[in-house]
Amino acid sequence: MVQSRLARYARISGSLLIAVAGLAGSASLASAEDVIRFGAPLPITGPLAPEAVKQQMGYNLWAEEANKAGGINVGGRKYKVEIVYADYQSNTPRSVQTTEQMITQDKINFMFGPFGSGAAKAASTISEKYKMPTIAASASSSQVYDQGYKYLFGTFTPNDTLTTPLTQIIKAKAPEVKKVAILARNDLFPLAIAQEMEKSAKANGIEVAYFEKYAINTLDHSGTLSQIKSLAPQWIFVTGYTNDLLLIRKQMVDQQMKAAVVTMIAGPAYQEFIEAAGQSAENISSASWWHPAEQYAGKDIFGQTSNFVKLFRAKYNSDPDYAQASAALCGALFQMAIEKVGSLDREKVRDELAKMDVVTFFGPVRFGANGQINSLEPPVFQIQNQKAVVLFPDAIKQGEFKLGVN
Amino acid sequence: MLAVQVLINALVLGCLYACIAIGFSLVWGVLNVINLIHGSFIVLGAYLAWGAYQWLAISPWYALVIAAPLFFVFGYLLQRLLLNRVITAPVLVTLTLTFGLDLILNNAMIYYFKADYRKLTLSPPTGSISLFDVVVPVDRLIATASALVLTGLLYLLLRRSKVGRAIVAVRLDRDAAVLMGVDVKSIYAIAFGLGAALAGCAGVLMALIFPISPLTSSAYLGKAFVVCVLGGLGSVSGALAGGLLLALVEGVGSTLIGPAHATTLSFVLLIIFLVVRPQGLLGRKGFE
Repeated sequence: MVQSRLARYARISGSLLIAVAGLAGSASLASAEDVIRFGAPLPITGPLAPEAVKQQMGYNLWAEEANKAGGINVGGRKYKVEIVYADYQSNTPRSVQTTEQMITQDKINFMFGPFGSGAAKAASTISEKYKMPTIAASASSSQVYDQGYKYLFGTFTPNDTLTTPLTQIIKAKAPEVKKVAILARNDLFPLAIAQEMEKSAKANGIEVAYFEKYAINTLDHSGTLSQIKSLAPQWIFVTGYTNDLLLIRKQMVDQQMKAAVVTMIAGPAYQEFIEAAGQSAENISSASWWHPAEQYAGKDIFGQTSNFVKLFRAKYNSDPDYAQASAALCGALFQMAIEKVGSLDREKVRDELAKMDVVTFFGPVRFGANGQINSLEPPVFQIQNQKAVVLFPDAIKQGEFKLGVN
Repeated sequence: MLAVQVLINALVLGCLYACIAIGFSLVWGVLNVINLIHGSFIVLGAYLAWGAYQWLAISPWYALVIAAPLFFVFGYLLQRLLLNRVITAPVLVTLTLTFGLDLILNNAMIYYFKADYRKLTLSPPTGSISLFDVVVPVDRLIATASALVLTGLLYLLLRRSKVGRAIVAVRLDRDAAVLMGVDVKSIYAIAFGLGAALAGCAGVLMALIFPISPLTSSAYLGKAFVVCVLGGLGSVSGALAGGLLLALVEGVGSTLIGPAHATTLSFVLLIIFLVVRPQGLLGRKGFE
């Protein structure tokens, strides 16, 4: 009697358990079906935090726009976009762990690469291992793409596409420029750009009178700048991030350094540099991968470049720069690829990305065999009257190059 | 001429380094607390100067007068309410506490001010003085002079005032000071308050020179640490000597062997000092 009661109890509770499990299962299935999860490992804390914020702004704007339109259309069914963020604390090895965790534990569907070339390269090994299509929004160095990986794509052209047009403009407009001094932050991207500059200068017959690196976190450049001043170069080319470039520009003014051409990469592309440098930013030239003045009629969710700029302004009350735009582009590209194949199958989406050839608000997008974009013509610009004025390419040119930085 | 320019640069920079380090040295020397929140105090001071100029059009020279008492009170309360509870514990405990406080303050600043870099640009700009081919920026010169004045005031305070003598007494022999009727807890709080006030003033001066962001606090802290080890703890002149030595090594080093190695050189110097002369150039026990 007791036994049979126990058995009955066990049966009932067992079936209850199964029912509950089944319900929970179907509930999770339902929610998983409605949402596409994009993993975004970012340096949310630590020295690279400002860069992470920029990328987040881009991803969030895209997610918001996509969801406002009902979501991503996968074979007639709408899926909401969810971006899963994780902080790797500006620590490259940790970006690798974070990437693996996102794929194995957070069960993301697709991946955005971590910030910059160094971390994107490190983490790409993991996404390759799990066959996870990944688009890197801010990796330009060709070493990232030379690994023969199938699942990695990037929206920045190689570094020399920035320095070559710049050198050609200066050679054409400022024939008196015979000597260039190059000062680079000793860091992957700034150093790579400086090395490309050295090559471009030599190829165009400009003497490289000075080439030095400065350490990350350098608080004072007076000695270095005094030395550059004593060499009297007509062109001073400095790479680094906003803080470095603001400090160097201030110290150049302090030391009353003048040159026909002063180029800084990558600070002047950011509005905060122009605001903080004020008058001293005048006539500084630079190059970046994208500029809000561009005018493309995109086939992506943002459409016209001006529409992207308008949406960005409405949400953040500031002008977008290339980092924010590139992040938004990554989302838009995934959306186009997924909608085209009408499936969340990673292989199919990967193949679609690989053969993509489309105009977007960011410019024409086509990836090379190594996964790096090869269709963009990065703009060269100059700060004139506190505004970035595009000098190249000719199609979107806004003004003429001006000589003399005091 | 380049050599003279490099030397002048180093001299000016040395005084700025001393200004960054002096409050840190005082707290370390008197309380035996390695105050990791020092860098964030400097950044907060810089934001104060920036905000005062940007929104209230108060010149940084007046901001100095606002910053000093404000930071003194802040530091005094911090010591009185928090640090005094663990002041007798091993040095690691106070180190951890200031580390935690620094995380809180720094992240609060990132939250409120954002991590964007800002710049305090005076209008009209102060410009530079040039003599022959040697150029010295006026704002650095003023900051240097202010740093020397602040250092002098601290020296006088420690040397001449009753509170100052009590601070020195506590540092020399805590137990004897208690027996002589010194209220040690309050002296600790005053010393920490002074350290914070000096950091706040340093921040106001640095706002004129360096870009402002919460992320720069670790760079300031690093410099303060090196300056203290080189110059030696326990004397006002030690901070000055350490600052000058560090700036000279960095300046000459970056000119001779390239800027990439200037930092390496200064840390090699730090290691040599730690091995050969751990008390630093002018190190002494107690602030005299």
